[in-house]
Amino acid sequence: MIRLWWRSLARSLRSGRTLFLLAVLGVALGVASVVAIQTLNQGALGAFDGSVRAVSGRADLTVLGLTPAFPETLLVPTLADPAVEAAWGLCRVDAAVDGVEGLLLDMVGVDLLAPVGLPLEATLGAADPGDAQAGILAAMVTPGWVAVTPELAANQGWAVGDAIEVSSGSRTAPLVIGALVDFRTLDPMAPPNLAVMDIAQVQGLLARPGLLHQIDIRLRPGTDTEAAAARLGVALGPGVTVVTPEQRQQDTRSLLAAFRLNLTALSLISVFVGVFLVLSSVQASLTIRRREFGILRCIGATPLQVRALILAEVGVLGLAGIMVGIPLGYAMALANLQTVSGTLTNIYVLDGISNLTLTPGVVLLGAAVGLCGALAGALWPAVEISRRDPLVLLAPVNLHEQVSRIAFRLSAVAALAAIAATAWFAWAGSRTNYGGFIYGGIMMLALPLVVPLVISLTAGSARPRGIGPALCLRNLAVRRQASTLAVSALAVTVSMLVGVTLLVAGFRSTLISWLDVTVRADIYVSSKSWARAGPEATLDSDLLAGLRSWPGVAAVEEQRRMHLYTADRRFRIWLNGIKVADIPGAELATRLPLKKGAPEAVAAGLEHGEILIGEPLAQKARLDIGDTLVLSGPSGPLRYRVAGIAYDYTSEGGTAFVTMPTLQKSFPGEPTSNAALFLEPGADQDDLLRDLRAAYSDRPLVLRSNADLRREVLAIFDQTFAVTGTLRTLALIIACLGVALNLLVQARERAGELGLLRSLGATRRQIFGLFVGEGLGVGILGLGLGLVGGIGLAALLIVFVNRQWFGWTIRPAWAGQDLAQQAVIILLAVVLAAVVPAWKAGQADPLTLTRDDL
Amino acid sequence: MLDTALAFDNVTMRFGGPGNAGRLVLEDISFQLAPGDIVSLAGRSGTGKSTLLHLAAGITLPTAGSIRLAGRDLAQLDESRRTTLRRLHLGLVFQFFHLLPHLSVLENILLPGWIAGHKDAALNERAAALLGRVGLAGRVGDPVAQLSGGEMQRVAICRALVLSPALILADEPTGSLDEKTGRQVMDLLLELVRSEGCSLLYVTHSRELAGLADRRWRLHDGHLEPEVPE
Repeated sequence: MIRLWWRSLARSLRSGRTLFLLAVLGVALGVASVVAIQTLNQGALGAFDGSVRAVSGRADLTVLGLTPAFPETLLVPTLADPAVEAAWGLCRVDAAVDGVEGLLLDMVGVDLLAPVGLPLEATLGAADPGDAQAGILAAMVTPGWVAVTPELAANQGWAVGDAIEVSSGSRTAPLVIGALVDFRTLDPMAPPNLAVMDIAQVQGLLARPGLLHQIDIRLRPGTDTEAAAARLGVALGPGVTVVTPEQRQQDTRSLLAAFRLNLTALSLISVFVGVFLVLSSVQASLTIRRREFGILRCIGATPLQVRALILAEVGVLGLAGIMVGIPLGYAMALANLQTVSGTLTNIYVLDGISNLTLTPGVVLLGAAVGLCGALAGALWPAVEISRRDPLVLLAPVNLHEQVSRIAFRLSAVAALAAIAATAWFAWAGSRTNYGGFIYGGIMMLALPLVVPLVISLTAGSARPRGIGPALCLRNLAVRRQASTLAVSALAVTVSMLVGVTLLVAGFRSTLISWLDVTVRADIYVSSKSWARAGPEATLDSDLLAGLRSWPGVAAVEEQRRMHLYTADRRFRIWLNGIKVADIPGAELATRLPLKKGAPEAVAAGLEHGEILIGEPLAQKARLDIGDTLVLSGPSGPLRYRVAGIAYDYTSEGGTAFVTMPTLQKSFPGEPTSNAALFLEPGADQDDLLRDLRAAYSDRPLVLRSNADLRREVLAIFDQTFAVTGTLRTLALIIACLGVALNLLVQARERAGELGLLRSLGATRRQIFGLFVGEGLGVGILGLGLGLVGGIGLAALLIVFVNRQWFGWTIRPAWAGQDLAQQAVIILLAVVLAAVVPAWKAGQADPLTLTRDDL
Repeated sequence: MLDTALAFDNVTMRFGGPGNAGRLVLEDISFQLAPGDIVSLAGRSGTGKSTLLHLAAGITLPTAGSIRLAGRDLAQLDESRRTTLRRLHLGLVFQFFHLLPHLSVLENILLPGWIAGHKDAALNERAAALLGRVGLAGRVGDPVAQLSGGEMQRVAICRALVLSPALILADEPTGSLDEKTGRQVMDLLLELVRSEGCSLLYVTHSRELAGLADRRWRLHDGHLEPEVPE
């Protein structure tokens, strides 16, 4: 049997090379999309994990502030715990490097003599171990001494002894490269922008003296970690939390869960479409080879043996697809690294991805997806042909009949599945986390089942009046099985394209409307390190005073932005204290579009110390007007009555607004993070912006006009969805391969018919046109069905999935222009895919007519 | 009107090798078919009967010699022009009918018209009239799969005649039919050809059917020679 399998495989490869290659490509692209997304997902998590392991690799526990920073006096009770062997404070600042656009150093201020486990000693004492101690002491007393990674130094052309200038908020500090320390010796995923300084220097130059952001703890051997964490939590008070490294990693996983899940779901669409391609290919190959199987069955091969033979062949196809798909996926991940990394830093305020690793887990996943996808695609044709009567296989039968016969039955199954899924979703599914995805998945699976009926009702009723569109449609209807596969693949792809396009368009237009209302100031002032919104990225009071008194500036709005936990630690939100500009129309309650609450009541509530919360937070924490939001404060829970709920698109995690006096009550002396300038009537915004930039050219500020800010927000938005563009393109390529494969098979199967047409005087151009027309027919049917499916998918994504996972209200927008553009691209792609098969069909020779043809 | 529907002039055909190296199938064949001529062609299997029809239809070109169809030298025409010439001046009838199973009876007959770009009602009327003449007036919309062999060949004959070609080439038109049905189909073909005034060159193994032609030819060892009735 193995010898037969080998011979059969070799023959099948020789006779159907193009079919095989197309199917391999389909599997490869499906595998590639999964591998790319999972590699990026792993990279996103790995960047954070790498940073944690590199900095806190020796720590068993970490104390983190529930507020932006906490006093370093907490080190005393920490060290007093009998289970604590060692503890050291960390001051962490994201510092912008002067003269290098977008580069932020992840500055770790640490007691260089503490047993942190950083590879400082190894570096400084590389030549002579005795030098290490002297080097560390020198580092502590050398002003601005900083150790950076060799990778960063190489990228920036820095060497030991070079001077650089960095800034945190509006403060700047001159630093000197003291050593090149490779943190990747601690963890291969350590970010290249890690930089280590003496903690006192970081506090003095870039942060605030006496304040820490983290304490790392090493416990004595044999200590019960959980008990120690609980005990320390009590001892250190309410402003901090004590967590294990695993808990920190889990927090990041939860933060990125929605982002990762959405990308994974999109990548699976490519696999689903790829399965159709395999199905088409195997179906075609089996149709061509049916006599071979008929003979095998006649001479005693069992259906199981035939099935095994076919599936083993497809296994080879799957393996080939995997071998191409995995490196391709990795390459795609590398190509999308910048955009996904940008999303992590801009939206989730996490470390960007600096390097990607193809983990064994992802390789195994890619292999499993490829193999299972290929076998899933082959299973039905293999079972179908193995169950057929040997004599039927030997006869020149038309295997397309079966789908024609069961078209109505398949559609009934689809209708039943859709009704059952809708009922389940309405009854219970919508209340589960993954309900939306499961419902969407079932509807996508049901879509191909209605395709045969749609082909019957549309193409089947075509009345040809010549070699034209109607004859093309009739041909599609006659070869319903092959047409169904090609149309289904395209319909599912178009559904995804339309669904995501409508979601993005609706989201974008909602965001633009929201920006119109909320972004009203003329000029926005922030620091270069604001991008990461670190707690130390603040503006000096003298700078703010200067801005207030600047000629032409009518009023300045100040904002303090802080990352805080809710008291139950379930959510980490951005709390914004706003010192509203004293001009009409700048009031928070009138400027932030309210989802719930009257502007006057919200304004009055805010004046009385209440809080205005964003929609995502209200949705996730199930808060309503009158409820109390409890946040962790420096000395205990902070309770705010909810005055109103505003539409908010600044953060997926949750946002809330209070007046600056309300914030200062709980966080006295917290500096301003950024400012917005309202100009006097008649003041020229461009002139003023130019003057301000000139006046503050020595300060690490970013001054943006209203239009600049909107542009940047929309650029970040577009960047966030850029990776979906890659996935959509992949799925479209696979679907077009499906059309090409279908038509190639037709050109082969219909050699007799084409020969007859040529005998009767049809020119090659006419045959070419006929095939391109059939490709176009597949395109139009796929487009039509996909449009319907896509609108449904968009509704599901906008109304349910998005609300549940992100909590945003998105107003649907009909992206007519985008959709029309995509429709043209899809039809062009389909026509392009049809060109080679059509050309091959056009080469049909009238002499190919044989006694078995037709 | 042209004097000759088809003319072979010293036509030689070899297969499978360049120049004189290939297998000789036809050698130095010359003949003319005048409008209205009905000629049968006999010969043992493999003697080149079908090849001669393919050459006549311009589907293949001879190794040597010239063939004129409707007054045009086929060797002087490119593939596309030969196709157009075939479409305008020839009707083909095959042993295995070669009807498209997904088209109805009427649509199969209209197919050459579609290829030629005719969409006028007159073509439909002519197709319906031909169907009436072959006794299938009631089967216009039927799928061809529902027809018997004899009925299928009658449809194929209608298809060959629908554009009123000058010449019909028929390759064993009764080869798939039983004797009685074959005779009926052949009578019908001859009747239609005569009434349409076109020429007919048909291949047959049946002496009886060959005897129905005005002239009888036989291919033997690559040469065309008149067949003498027994």
